[in-house]
Amino acid sequence: MPHDVTMPQLGMAQDAGRLVAWLKAPGEPVARGDVLFEVETDKSTMEVEAQADGYLTGVSAAEGDDVPVGQVIARISDSPEAASSEAASSEEPAGADEPAGDSGDVGDGGNGGDELPDGAVVTMPQLGMAQDTGLLIAWHCAPGDRVAADDVLFEVETDKSAMEVPADRDGFLAATLAQAGEEVPVGAPVAIISATAPGNPIARPLDRAATPSDNASTGAQEAPPATVAAEKPTAMQTGTRVAPTVDGRILASPKARRQALEEGLDLSRLARAGHPQPYHVKDLATLRALPDEAAPGPATMAASRHLTAELPREAFSDFAAWAAENAGLTDEAALLACLAGGCLGGDEAIVAHEACGRRRLYLVPAGPLGGATEVEDGDPDIVLRDLRLTRVSGLRLGAEAAPTLTLMAFGEGLSLTLECAADQLTAADALALVSDFAGRLEQPLRHLL
Amino acid sequence: MREISLSQAVNEALAEEMRRDPTVFILGEDVAEAGTPFKVLSGLVEEFGTGRVIDTPISEPGFVGMAVGAAMTGARPVVDLMFGDFLYLVMDQLCNQAAKQHYMSGGKLTVPMVLRTNLGATRRSAAQHSQSLQALVAHIPGLKVALPSSAYEAKGLMKTAIRDNNPVVIFEDKLMYQDKAPVPEEEYLIPFGEAAVKREGTDITLIATSSMVQVAGKAAEILAAEGISAEVIDPRTIVPLDEATLLESVKKTARAIVIDEGHQSYGVTAEIASRLNEKAFYHLDAPVLRMGAMDVPVPFSPALEDLTVPTPEGVAANARRLCAGELLHAA
Repeated sequence: MPHDVTMPQLGMAQDAGRLVAWLKAPGEPVARGDVLFEVETDKSTMEVEAQADGYLTGVSAAEGDDVPVGQVIARISDSPEAASSEAASSEEPAGADEPAGDSGDVGDGGNGGDELPDGAVVTMPQLGMAQDTGLLIAWHCAPGDRVAADDVLFEVETDKSAMEVPADRDGFLAATLAQAGEEVPVGAPVAIISATAPGNPIARPLDRAATPSDNASTGAQEAPPATVAAEKPTAMQTGTRVAPTVDGRILASPKARRQALEEGLDLSRLARAGHPQPYHVKDLATLRALPDEAAPGPATMAASRHLTAELPREAFSDFAAWAAENAGLTDEAALLACLAGGCLGGDEAIVAHEACGRRRLYLVPAGPLGGATEVEDGDPDIVLRDLRLTRVSGLRLGAEAAPTLTLMAFGEGLSLTLECAADQLTAADALALVSDFAGRLEQPLRHLL
Repeated sequence: MREISLSQAVNEALAEEMRRDPTVFILGEDVAEAGTPFKVLSGLVEEFGTGRVIDTPISEPGFVGMAVGAAMTGARPVVDLMFGDFLYLVMDQLCNQAAKQHYMSGGKLTVPMVLRTNLGATRRSAAQHSQSLQALVAHIPGLKVALPSSAYEAKGLMKTAIRDNNPVVIFEDKLMYQDKAPVPEEEYLIPFGEAAVKREGTDITLIATSSMVQVAGKAAEILAAEGISAEVIDPRTIVPLDEATLLESVKKTARAIVIDEGHQSYGVTAEIASRLNEKAFYHLDAPVLRMGAMDVPVPFSPALEDLTVPTPEGVAANARRLCAGELLHAA
């Protein structure tokens, strides 16, 4: 076992030492404790002792050299000549002539099949962080081919991309241990490259290839779907982004909150759309791009007006009774339609009256009460939804095709709600409509005057 | 521009100031004959003599007390405290006397002294010679604290410190004495309270002191290769602190990591992070992270010691997490 001789750190602020003199010559036997060389630092000259028995070899620093602390300047080896050959063999990667043992292991795998040729084993590389198998797409060399280190041996597909795997050493493709289309566990042998031309090159599918038993159990047939890790689209999203919400709180950075506030964006929409929290400024781009939640269908509009008024119940019912008795106006729905149509102020209006699941359309001319006639069809200018007989006491249904007035029982009295889109009525018109209609219901005789 | 080592830069600053002002003198252990264990003061005793470069007995409270008295009576002493760890020995002289004389004398006395000492682990010097105690003195009103990050800063800050009428503590990193940097031949001073933007970036601000500036710079290199643009800022003095430059940067990048080699808990990093939180909260897109030395006595074992200080890889890893919008703490 050779022992490295390094430049020691002899002073606190020392990063290099000057080699003053060697006290042993290359090849000379040394004993532990013998002085090997002298070093000069800014303070003093010191002797450095051998830390092992052996022969001084591989001397790489000369007297007078300034050598950085920690640099190997020689070795103490088992033999006087060991230096050069040792250095060479220990630096060399497990090469073409070495892995005979490896390939033997490969062949021992239990099916007692073909003897695998000697050579270096090429394994399925790990090409991505979360990758545990690779799909062998295609072989670029055939068994028996001569290959050079740079030659592409086969192609692998991972979650992200297809990559080419080079042979990495010169030789012959002596065995292929998986076929195109097979999912090969990372680390499992895929090919053997021999130094000499193989007499009988082998080509096997993966399940015949006796992969080491631990690989076999987690092997190709159990390979998890390749799409599992594909969810994270960008390289920066490597960490955990969880989607917890405690009490419906949205987790977002202060800057993201401030910008959302400034732009009138609602961060909870990101949560509802399933984007993982916490939210940062870059998530606001996603939020801006989200389609409108209440996608405006033909009948609904995004921005709606919602106004409510309260009024006593008796006024209108007394009036209805009076009208039925004295003017023969027994259709209470028509009566209401007239009151509503009158509020619109045009020449005539089509009013839809909805009650008890039934919808009737009235053409309401301008002028005295009672001229309403029921019509078969038409686009209503206003909808009157009469829910006085239901238990509904409040609603928020959004705007519809026409402004909608809803009458509901409210305690001892009535409540009147107007819902409409912003472009159907201006705020002022909506307010006027509600207060006018409420006034007419409360004092129907006003309408007659 | 010529490049000189940090120790040469300090040596030049002292020599120039001693030539300029005869009231400037040096005292401490091994400052004259030995030129300090780090060879910072070599050659000064030859030029200025033992009357102005004074070797003292091994008694830190004694010679720091002498320096306070000398400063109060018209001299400008530069005290050499061989290791920052010895600050514990001079707490009364420094924090009770030097820091408070101007205040307690109603402004009649000033204490224009400089205490030169050092910080930094990973020198295999073990727990009692490896501490970074700048937070300890930065906590005391009346003391200014400078943390040079290169030879350039070491010279410019030292000259400013000597001319300042307040007690100033300068911490040099023991590992950086041989590090070279471009230093102008002509005279220059670096004003206190003026941070240096060492590298411009847009995605995250790395605020680092002393040798951590190098760590942050290397982290920025790693991050740049990944498409993350890091800004590196060196406050240069932590008292006074150039808040404006830090805030401006953080408002731009919306993320920050503060790196200092003192222990992480209750340290310089906490103070700076806290100010960013108070004054740039609505500009932050991620929590401000602190990175300091691990809260353990510095181990002697090299393998363990190396784990206790922030590294470029560690800073880059944290920056990556912040930029990815990772949830760093429990919801």
